[in-house]
Amino acid sequence: MTAARGTEFTETMVGSVRLAGESGTRAMRLDLSVRAERLMLPHRTTDATLTGRVRIAGLADGRDVRGELEISPIARRRIRYRLDFTADGRRYSLDGWKSVSALRPVKSMTVLPFTLLTDGEEAGHGTLRFPVATALMPFLGSFRFPRAQEDAAQHLAPRWNGSPGRTEVWYTTLTDPKTRTGVWLHHELTAPDDGSRPHGHGWIALFPPDGPVEHARFGPEPWEPDPVGFSMDGVESGPGRLRGSAGDFRWDVTERPQGEPLFTFPRWSWRRPLLPAAQILPSARASYTGTIAYPGGELHLDAAPGASARIYGHGNARRWAWLHADLGGGDVLEIVAAVSMRPGLNKLPPLTFLRLRRNGRTWPRRAERSAVGWAGLGRFRTRIGLPVWTVSGTAGLRRIRVEVTQPRERTLALDYTDPDGGAAVCRNSESADARVLLERWWGRWRTEAEWFLDGTAHAEVGDR
Amino acid sequence: MSTRLDGLVAALLADDGRAAWPGAVPDRLGRMLDAMPSAARAGVHGAAAAIDAYAAVRMGRRLRRLTPGERERVLASLAARPALVPVLDAVKVPVMLAAGTERMLHEEPVRAPSAPPFEDPPLDCVPSAEWPDRSTADAVVIGSGAGGAIAARTLARTGMRVVVLEEGRRHTTADFARRAPLGRFAELYRDGGATVALGNPPVVLPVGRAVGGTTVVNSGTCYRTPGHVLARWRETFGVDLADATAFAAHLDEVERTLRVATQPLDVLGRNGRTALAGAETLGWKAGPLRRNAPGCKGSCQCVVGCPTGAKQSVQLSVLPDACAAGARIVTRAYARRILTDPDRSGGPRACGVGVRRPDGTDFEILAPLVVVAAGALHSPPLLRRSGLGRHPRLGRNLAVHPATSVAGRFTERITAWQGVLQSVGIEQHHDDGILIEATAGPPGMGSFVLPGVGRALRTELEQAGHLATLGAMIADRPSGRVLGARRSVLRYDLDPRDGRRLLGAVEAMGELLFAAGAEEVLTGIAAAPRAGSVDELRQLLSGVTARRLHLSAFHPTGTVAIGADAQMAPADPRGRLRGVHGVLVADGSALPSCPEVNPQLTIMATALAVSESAAAGGPG
Repeated sequence: MTAARGTEFTETMVGSVRLAGESGTRAMRLDLSVRAERLMLPHRTTDATLTGRVRIAGLADGRDVRGELEISPIARRRIRYRLDFTADGRRYSLDGWKSVSALRPVKSMTVLPFTLLTDGEEAGHGTLRFPVATALMPFLGSFRFPRAQEDAAQHLAPRWNGSPGRTEVWYTTLTDPKTRTGVWLHHELTAPDDGSRPHGHGWIALFPPDGPVEHARFGPEPWEPDPVGFSMDGVESGPGRLRGSAGDFRWDVTERPQGEPLFTFPRWSWRRPLLPAAQILPSARASYTGTIAYPGGELHLDAAPGASARIYGHGNARRWAWLHADLGGGDVLEIVAAVSMRPGLNKLPPLTFLRLRRNGRTWPRRAERSAVGWAGLGRFRTRIGLPVWTVSGTAGLRRIRVEVTQPRERTLALDYTDPDGGAAVCRNSESADARVLLERWWGRWRTEAEWFLDGTAHAEVGDR
Repeated sequence: MSTRLDGLVAALLADDGRAAWPGAVPDRLGRMLDAMPSAARAGVHGAAAAIDAYAAVRMGRRLRRLTPGERERVLASLAARPALVPVLDAVKVPVMLAAGTERMLHEEPVRAPSAPPFEDPPLDCVPSAEWPDRSTADAVVIGSGAGGAIAARTLARTGMRVVVLEEGRRHTTADFARRAPLGRFAELYRDGGATVALGNPPVVLPVGRAVGGTTVVNSGTCYRTPGHVLARWRETFGVDLADATAFAAHLDEVERTLRVATQPLDVLGRNGRTALAGAETLGWKAGPLRRNAPGCKGSCQCVVGCPTGAKQSVQLSVLPDACAAGARIVTRAYARRILTDPDRSGGPRACGVGVRRPDGTDFEILAPLVVVAAGALHSPPLLRRSGLGRHPRLGRNLAVHPATSVAGRFTERITAWQGVLQSVGIEQHHDDGILIEATAGPPGMGSFVLPGVGRALRTELEQAGHLATLGAMIADRPSGRVLGARRSVLRYDLDPRDGRRLLGAVEAMGELLFAAGAEEVLTGIAAAPRAGSVDELRQLLSGVTARRLHLSAFHPTGTVAIGADAQMAPADPRGRLRGVHGVLVADGSALPSCPEVNPQLTIMATALAVSESAAAGGPG
């Protein structure tokens, strides 16, 4: 089983080494980045990999350090470092361990005697020390407990548990970079409130840059469970592959996930469906290769950027807005702003879930932050409208402003039906424009990044 | 303090100033005491102080200032109290040790060796001070004695990287040839040779501490394990490796390595020949012993290291092979604890050894296999301080072969210390658990304690050249225990059956000496020191118990016994310690019960069997 979280930290040690055949010692410094695939807890043994830099006066300054760390301060009373590096054209191995003693906790946890080996023969020995006075705070501050890499496929499996009054969606949006055509593939399971037989349906829509939007529906057909994704009457949306036909459309596309899952709503709300609905991206970004045939032509996709998303809940919101913006360079912005149908909640302004995945890190760190702020204070605000809707908000030292434009000619209006039979109208554009401005406070608000998406944003606004 | 020792020595040896050597004894005694454990040192100093105080009260002056005659009166009045005799005997032993050496040095100065010094085969020995703080190996062997050496050789020959840890240091044959016996004594023995098992009577249990372990200081006698002992191990203890054929092959291999052969008569010495003559007169089964000393020159210094390199102690025979196969020996390295990984899947696993240098600094060696061969007295404490001592039988089952000795006075000069130290075995009573061996140490170093104090003792000392000495050891019940974790504390309660056997052994030895022509027999029993005939001896012995004997023992075994019964044996029949993976027991402590003969071959064959089994089966 994969652990939920890993551990990362950096460590610096300085000391000296006496090489075999030399009378004096040489100064030595080791800067290490350590990564473990599981949460590091002191009472158990954690195996980690390490990379970093070694400096030995007059011999080595290598950044090619690779090795292993065995962290077991209580169970085995040992923290063992084994690492390899190249110096002076020779391959060296360092093997040493801190031998933890309850009688001398500080000394035993900070002193690392080691032996240097080359070709299995002893090449020297020395001692490195962790300089507590200068290195302790950076060491403690460097600790991170990142989530372990998750498999996108696990989030594609159906969530529906047979309860009436549920809806579940697999939808994929992408933009063909050559033709700038947007594509929307929507697969939906609806289990009506009245307990009648669930059915699946969906559609495909193409958004050429110059319009007009074309689409075709498939279904409804009785729902047949599929353990890995959506599958119905020749239409499939599962791990790595989308294919099917609707009207004159036929598509067969492979999907390559690129990036960690992105939980637009809080992670717990996906695990335990307590909110009216929740949305996630099994992979924040994906690339698509394949063919989509449409009346009058064929679209050949070659690593087209986009993303698949999943929704599970009780039905559509009262009003909502959604944006998926591929900002380039692996950065992604995902926004869902919605007003619930539930009595009481329907009087609130839109709850805004904004997730900016930038340089591998997600801002704001908690999904709840943009939706509810601090008991409502500081929440992000969305003005839902058409053709322009906006989102703005501040969290920590950053603030963001997003302006989405869905030109009428590039927007497709479709009717949605809730499990309770209620109707909603969705206005969707996979070739919308967006402007994103990210600022950081440094004495004053300074622009940190700005993106303009010209017809490559994927957006939708819905109401009743 | 030294003034008290001066007085004590002068009184015990009746020093009247006419001979020079008694004057040098206090200094040598002081140096010897320094090597002994603090309790023994305090005991001797305390006894000296008490006798000094008694003299001051009785005579108005301290012993040192009394005349020889006055000192004699003080000692006579003390010796007249039976309760004090054992105390005087205990003090006498170290004094005799120092006196014997000084007397020999003055009367027979060490001759410069005529032959060029013997060159020992090379060993890869590294002092612990030069060993790195962190290292790894495939196997670490704790102890370089009989068991450890053969285990190291076996494992190294399979290609494993083996490190042998030895608390003592390396002594070469050239060192032995250069120095006086007593000068080597303190260094070669743990606790300066003053290891004592508590009990009634206490048992002196000297064990070696050097590269080569006790094999450096044993007599070199090599008995094969008796068939009935192997049968008992197999049938009662479920030890399959004691299969007669397989074990015989291991014994053959060990004998080849040690070059074991029957001792030729030429250098046997008069002590041994006297014993043979006595046995012949009585028609007893006897003969020169099988020994691992080809070319023995009869230096009679086996117990302080053979000065000619004839005795094939393991540092001359086994360890060179081990080093040739890649094993390395770290000397002056005290195994502090065996390191274990308690959280390994499948249960706790040994992962190396934490070691202390003489300067108090530590180093560690990681290895998946740890071979415990620290000897039966020190393996249990090592396992306890490593957190591996939970088995209820660990440290129990200690058998020691308690031994006592008897001397016979002959008209002619015997000079027992010229010839082979342990020369002749008399097996007439072996079926009754009594093995008699003609044994004579260098002056003062034999286990026989001369009777009397003062003038009487001095006379005995000066006539020691007319004494022939025999020793007898008995097959004992395992009635001892090794206690303690930081250091070992020994307890040995002589079983009543074994007490009777010991008295029987004294009688048999007396009979043999009389048959060989002895004028009188010195029993070593303070309350009944002399007998002029066999009948008188029997009469004397009928009035004493074994508690009156001076007991010593040289063969501790059985404290981490191997056996099939998990409740009774801390180690399994293949020598693997129970409760942890990767710990092998390969020394005298592994023997399931008393081997009934000098155990070197038995220990080595057992270590060979368990280490071959471990090498074949991996460290698990």
